Amino acid sequence: MTTTIPMLPEEAAAAAGDGRPGRGRWRGRGGSRGRGRWRVLLRTPGRVFGVTVIAVFALMAIIGPYLYPASLPIDPGAIYASPSLAHPLGTDFEGTDVLALIVTGARYVLLSAVIAAVVMVVVGAAAGITAGYFRGPPDSIIMRVTDLVLTIPGFPLLIVLSTVWDFGSPYAMGLVLGIFGWGGLARAVRSQTLSLRERGFLEAARGLGLPARHIVLREVAPNVAPYVAMNLLLSVTGAIYAETGLFFLGVVPFNAGNWGVMLNIAVFSAGAVTSPQALTYLLSPLVCILALTLAIVVMLNAVDEWFNPRLREP
Amino acid sequence: MRAVRRVGTRLLTGLVLIWVVASGTFFLVRLMPGNPVTAQYQNDVLHGMSPDAARAATALLYGFVPRQPLGQQYLQYLWQLAHLNLGRSISYEGVPVAHIVASAAPWTVILVLSGIVVSFAIGVSAGVLAAVKRSTRLGDLLTVSGSVLHGIPQFVLAILLAYVFTTIWAVLPFGAPYDVTIAPGWNVAFIGSLITHAILPVAAYALSGYGGWLLTMKSSVVSVLGDDFILGAELRGLRRLTVARYIARNAMLPLFTILALSAGFMFGGSIFIEEIFDYPGLGYTLLASIGTRDYPLMTGTFLIITVAVVAANILADLLYGVIDPRVRRT
Amino acid sequence: MTRTTAGTTADTTAGAAGVRAAPAAVRVRDLTVAFPTAQGERAAVSHVSLDLAAGRITGLVGESGSGKSTLALSLLNAVPKPGQVTSGTVQIDGIGDVLALPAPELRRVRGAEIGYVFQASQNSLNPLKQAGKQLLDLGRSHGQRDLRGLLARARELLDGMGLDPVRVLSSYQHELSGGMRQRLGIVFALVLNAHVLILDEPTTALDMLSQAAVLQIIRQVHAGRHLTSLVISHDLGVIGELADRIAVMYAGRIVEEGPTGELLADPRHPYTRGLLAATPRITGDLELARPLPGRPPDLMTIPRRGCVFRDRCPIAQPRCAQTEPPRTELSSAELSSTEPPGTELPAAEPQRPGAELRGAAPPGASGGRQVACYAVTGEGP
Repeated sequence: MTTTIPMLPEEAAAAAGDGRPGRGRWRGRGGSRGRGRWRVLLRTPGRVFGVTVIAVFALMAIIGPYLYPASLPIDPGAIYASPSLAHPLGTDFEGTDVLALIVTGARYVLLSAVIAAVVMVVVGAAAGITAGYFRGPPDSIIMRVTDLVLTIPGFPLLIVLSTVWDFGSPYAMGLVLGIFGWGGLARAVRSQTLSLRERGFLEAARGLGLPARHIVLREVAPNVAPYVAMNLLLSVTGAIYAETGLFFLGVVPFNAGNWGVMLNIAVFSAGAVTSPQALTYLLSPLVCILALTLAIVVMLNAVDEWFNPRLREP
Repeated sequence: MRAVRRVGTRLLTGLVLIWVVASGTFFLVRLMPGNPVTAQYQNDVLHGMSPDAARAATALLYGFVPRQPLGQQYLQYLWQLAHLNLGRSISYEGVPVAHIVASAAPWTVILVLSGIVVSFAIGVSAGVLAAVKRSTRLGDLLTVSGSVLHGIPQFVLAILLAYVFTTIWAVLPFGAPYDVTIAPGWNVAFIGSLITHAILPVAAYALSGYGGWLLTMKSSVVSVLGDDFILGAELRGLRRLTVARYIARNAMLPLFTILALSAGFMFGGSIFIEEIFDYPGLGYTLLASIGTRDYPLMTGTFLIITVAVVAANILADLLYGVIDPRVRRT
Repeated sequence: MTRTTAGTTADTTAGAAGVRAAPAAVRVRDLTVAFPTAQGERAAVSHVSLDLAAGRITGLVGESGSGKSTLALSLLNAVPKPGQVTSGTVQIDGIGDVLALPAPELRRVRGAEIGYVFQASQNSLNPLKQAGKQLLDLGRSHGQRDLRGLLARARELLDGMGLDPVRVLSSYQHELSGGMRQRLGIVFALVLNAHVLILDEPTTALDMLSQAAVLQIIRQVHAGRHLTSLVISHDLGVIGELADRIAVMYAGRIVEEGPTGELLADPRHPYTRGLLAATPRITGDLELARPLPGRPPDLMTIPRRGCVFRDRCPIAQPRCAQTEPPRTELSSAELSSTEPPGTELPAAEPQRPGAELRGAAPPGASGGRQVACYAVTGEGP
């Protein structure tokens, strides 16, 4: 009797639901896949919002500082001014335009967040794949280290660290955040690698005599890519949270343009929470952090679909 | 007896972790710019203390003494730790750190626990609803609300809450753990003010945690709904309530470990909420000690926070072994 | 350790306690179960009519994807969403049309009148609760006052199957072996004295010894309790062992149906013949087993016009592409002729197919043979 893996009616319905025909009639897949994937990013209004916001902030980060002089002008006559034509978002405690602060501050926020995310992902994925692929002693060691990194409370550690090391520069900040944040991804990647092992992919490849490097790149990496991509985005939000938080707490040396610092001054010096003064100074960085984080959260879904076309709902 | 062995292993791992952190902070303090220990010692000597007296005073403050070989200092430090001696605070004029930590801890614990309970309760209920109604508008709305709240940084949420409910719509108090005009004591007025002042911080914890619970519970329920035993229960004609209970217990199982773990995280993140709302808890104390460069207090508080997190993790591990019969026998 | 599985009287005594005197027949008429797809509705089960004779075991044979599980679930009105029953009735003596029952009545019927037994490999029990506790849940859900009696009945059943009742009932699902789970599943299906039993692949995923034991048990409980049973399997050997009548299912339709012995000895529909030809025998050359060409269709690739089997059929005619052949009863004249008219089957089988796959009932018992094939029945224009 011929064997074939048949689909349950529900599966067939689902597969048919996303527009691809069943096995009986093959249509060329290349075209629809190529265009279809990028369209995923814009499929819903939420995602359009997300992509736009990220694009805007990225633009700010890249060209923002070039639009303003190196040290922003202060205007002692207009401290905590209300929004006006000259200062659409008002001014800060020195009279500096809030909009300028936001735009120039974007670079630090995004740069350090991206660096942190990259470090987290590289270290985490490498650790996870190594542990899952080789198992044995490397696995135990890596997992112990991962547990350590995961258990030690992050913020308190960063704060204590700030007394010995000034990691105010975006690169140092990114590095520090990355080094303490790779634990979660390492665990997830490791368990995915282990499950690949269970399913026999790795055995089969090794049985064919393929070199380890090839196996890792061709078999393991594509399968963990979805996790890594989603985690990359999540790490960016986490990093934004962490670094603006650190500046907000005041443990990292002052850098007036950073959004976290703006919040710090607004809340603790200007008492903006309890008084109408400096309202825009308080709300602007707040809204920016909010918008950026939300935009990335919305894109998480899109990334998931990008890797997993079957999830697309008709 | 396997259970005893498991408990033992976990405890051992936890102790090792704490030891690592304690050692780390020990060496960290010695790394500080302008080594505070030596600085303290020199300061004392400058003020007329004899070297011996100065050494003794510094030892009291820091738990170890300069000019001793490093190894000996280290051992002495560990020895003191084992006796729960965390040294004495600088900024608080020699008050034992252990006392300060002990008086700060309740604030953190109460806020964090309340926050967890509330966020767990509303998050899990919403998660179940989101799972059951997952192809409807309500389900989508709930899921989106969870994702959105999950992504917002905790302190951003806290500031927004404070702003909205204290300034725009002034219904809740702000800026202190309780109304300072009321004398502390077991009376209704005091307890009442404790509660009203705690609403905002607890709400901040709860809302930032709600999203995570909702999403986790939803995915757990969805995965349980697809399990064969649910079909089995329905085909055997079990009552809907019974089936619902089967689903609930099975779906909540993985969540309990996360509960204990998130308690650990909350302890670490309490810094923000306590700063914003002025609650003298562990996070607040840690931050303050950084500002005043009160190293004994700083290391002591950090150590305690870490111990709390480690303890929560161990608890999570053990809890799972108890409540899941599939794991129990192994 | 399991004790001997030789027949005991436990079943008849349990039967006497609460089983109906007369077994119930099940009549499925014109049943269609459809699933919505992007290309419109597709039927997993299409206008199927089937009789489960009272007091008999009916076997339903088909490959994966033939719709047999969907058919079984629809007998309990439990087709998984988004599937729906779009036509037909399921009449059961003493219950009426299952598909028309209101929800509370349907819930009662499930478990108390119709028992469904899952495959051993499926986790059909709550993994977090002991088996005995779940039995009590079952009793309570069905308003059983005498829970002690329920447990006693369950213990007797388990005992009769060669299991240690105390041990099994206090176990969690993961602590039981496949054979034990299968037997426990049967107990759950019967403990409320259901009189219709549906077994979905009862021996798949079991080792040979457990298979033999379970088959024995099924025969026992069936006889002792005057049940009407439906056994679903892709394994012709199992069906041959158990069933009085066989229905062969393909792509959501029943293509052949008849008494076991006759059908296996002398299959008429080309699909059935192909199935039997493809089944390797324990004796003889493996080469003689010849697989069917092509593959069975899935939901999306079932032909929408004409006979669903025509793409793989060696005797297809032009007419087969036009309209679907109706199921027709073969006359005794047609049955007694050894060579079906106008057929050229590829290389006659050296041994008569089905000779060792004997049926449970004597040939010719209870009803004739129906086939849905133009070539066989020589019908139509």
